[in-house]
Amino acid sequence: MNIFDKTWAWFTADGAWTDSGGIFQRLLEHLGYSGLILFFAALIAIPIGLWVGHTGKGENIVVGVTGALRALPTLGLLTLFALWMGLGLTAPVIALVILAISPLLAGVYSGIAAVDPITVDAARAQGMTEWQILTRVELPLAAPLIFGGLRNATLQVIATVTIMAYINLGGLGRYLIDGLAVRDYPRMVAAVVLVAVLALVVDALLALIQRALTSPGTR
Amino acid sequence: MSVLNNAIEFKSVFKTYGDNTVVDNLNLSIPEGKITVFVGPSGCGKTTSLRMINRMVEYTSGTILVNGEDNTARPAHELRRSMGYVLQQAGLMPHRTIVDNISTVPRLNGVSARQAKSQALELLNTVGLDESFAKRYPSQLSGGQAQRVGVARALASESSILLMDEPFSAVDPVVRADLQKELLRLQSTLGRTIIFVTHDMDEAILLGDYVAVFARGGRIAQFGTPEEILREPADDFVASFVGRDRGMRRLTFASGADVPIHPLDAQQTPWQQWQLNVEDGRPAGWRIDDRVIPGGSLFVAGGTLRDALDSVLSSPSGWGVVVNEQGQVLGLLKSDDVLEATERERLNRYGVSA
Ligand SMILES: Nc1ncnc2c1ncn2[C@@H]1O[C@H](COP(=O)(O)OP(=O)(O)OP(=O)(O)O)[C@@H](O)[C@H]1O
Ligand SMILES: [Mg+2]
Repeated sequence: MNIFDKTWAWFTADGAWTDSGGIFQRLLEHLGYSGLILFFAALIAIPIGLWVGHTGKGENIVVGVTGALRALPTLGLLTLFALWMGLGLTAPVIALVILAISPLLAGVYSGIAAVDPITVDAARAQGMTEWQILTRVELPLAAPLIFGGLRNATLQVIATVTIMAYINLGGLGRYLIDGLAVRDYPRMVAAVVLVAVLALVVDALLALIQRALTSPGTR
Repeated sequence: MSVLNNAIEFKSVFKTYGDNTVVDNLNLSIPEGKITVFVGPSGCGKTTSLRMINRMVEYTSGTILVNGEDNTARPAHELRRSMGYVLQQAGLMPHRTIVDNISTVPRLNGVSARQAKSQALELLNTVGLDESFAKRYPSQLSGGQAQRVGVARALASESSILLMDEPFSAVDPVVRADLQKELLRLQSTLGRTIIFVTHDMDEAILLGDYVAVFARGGRIAQFGTPEEILREPADDFVASFVGRDRGMRRLTFASGADVPIHPLDAQQTPWQQWQLNVEDGRPAGWRIDDRVIPGGSLFVAGGTLRDALDSVLSSPSGWGVVVNEQGQVLGLLKSDDVLEATERERLNRYGVSA
């Protein structure tokens, strides 16, 4: 049997999907971690991005910070936080939130900043309040770039959540870490395939939502 | 002028950016229900002065009264909703349909969606667009159409005041002429207070009931009717600004109605072979020998002396062609007659008899 046959056998083994520690459970864990991380990242990145994009204040800081965050090695951060805060969910979530903030913030900020200043000026001159300008003009027009940032962040988080298994948490990363420990290569290949497919499916869903939310006038 | 109420009054208004005084002690009263044009060279503070009215620019000191009330008395966004604003680029919201764009201010003011929509459809007609435009997006319009929508949106606020900043300068001359005519037609029924910024003196004369000529630093060099400004420029700056075609422009205010109209065969003499081509009663160029040469500008009966003069000067035969409103040929103008009329106009102007 070559590695592909063996991987296939692993996927189709009795209870591979439904057992405790099976694929369904790991998938749900993986999605759960990813969702939690994206939620916290969005909570931080979106308000900052909106504010900076709308007011034009602090642009340089945002550009610098997103660049610096991108350069941080996530595995290093995870180790650092785990040593500092101990095992558990907090350390890896913080490490990954930091990873996700950068693409999200860049997407929101640049999306808002890229809205034609004439459109904004006209909206203000019609008598929209700053909040109305932000929510009714800038956000809808920035939607494509904001979604670009969100999809980017989502892909990175789904791929990187695998490292949570490294500190004894669940998710699809378990198959990688455990497979490596016992030299079970088919299991590792299966993990890679699962992560890739999950990322593609989620990205496709986000693309559909983006399409539904984008005005035909700006396509 | 004292019988007119003032819709807007600038009282000792200053605007500075750092050390740069952009508007220097502006005092100006803008009469209600009339078109007042701000004209002047680039960078002299026309836009700044206009935008101080709806507080898109906050002034440094002084007072601006809008309908007698200090314009800082209520929140800026409320003030802005109470007056229409048309920009040079229409500035429509690309993600909203044309009806939604026009309905912006009524919707902000809490008018129901249905009512705002039916009003928007009416306004589309008012600005000369049919209802098929309603569901389109701004990217599907030409520049001229977008500008009409911009005007409709400004009219939707139902305010008595309309601010227009070079609204027609980004469209081609033919469309611009159309839009200008349409604005005058609209104004004749709406009677709003319109403040219109341009740096085109011809546009100022055509549209303005009053013209404020701005000099650098937001100083008013002269305020008056277009005719007053052309007749008696207050100083050298105004004279040089209204300068170049001043004589021609003046003829805009003189009627060409008493220039005699000659029959079509009047110019046929043994030594002149030009003949006007007429198709379906409309002029279609001049024939000489076997060639047909496109005609010059047409003089619509009852037009201005300037139009009459232009029809003569632009005609290949040297004879102006007179048509009625429907474009049917009525007769010909002779250049000598037109020159004589300008002479009479000049003498009239200074109250001297021939
Ligand atoms: N935000 C600003 N900061 C600094 N200077 C400004 C600002 N806005 C305008 N100015 C200056 O104020 C002066 C008047 O500008 P304004 O736009 O009112 O001129 P304008 O008469 O409308 O000119 P144009 O015919 O070119 O539109 C210009 O010298 C301009 O450089
Ligand atoms: Mg200007």
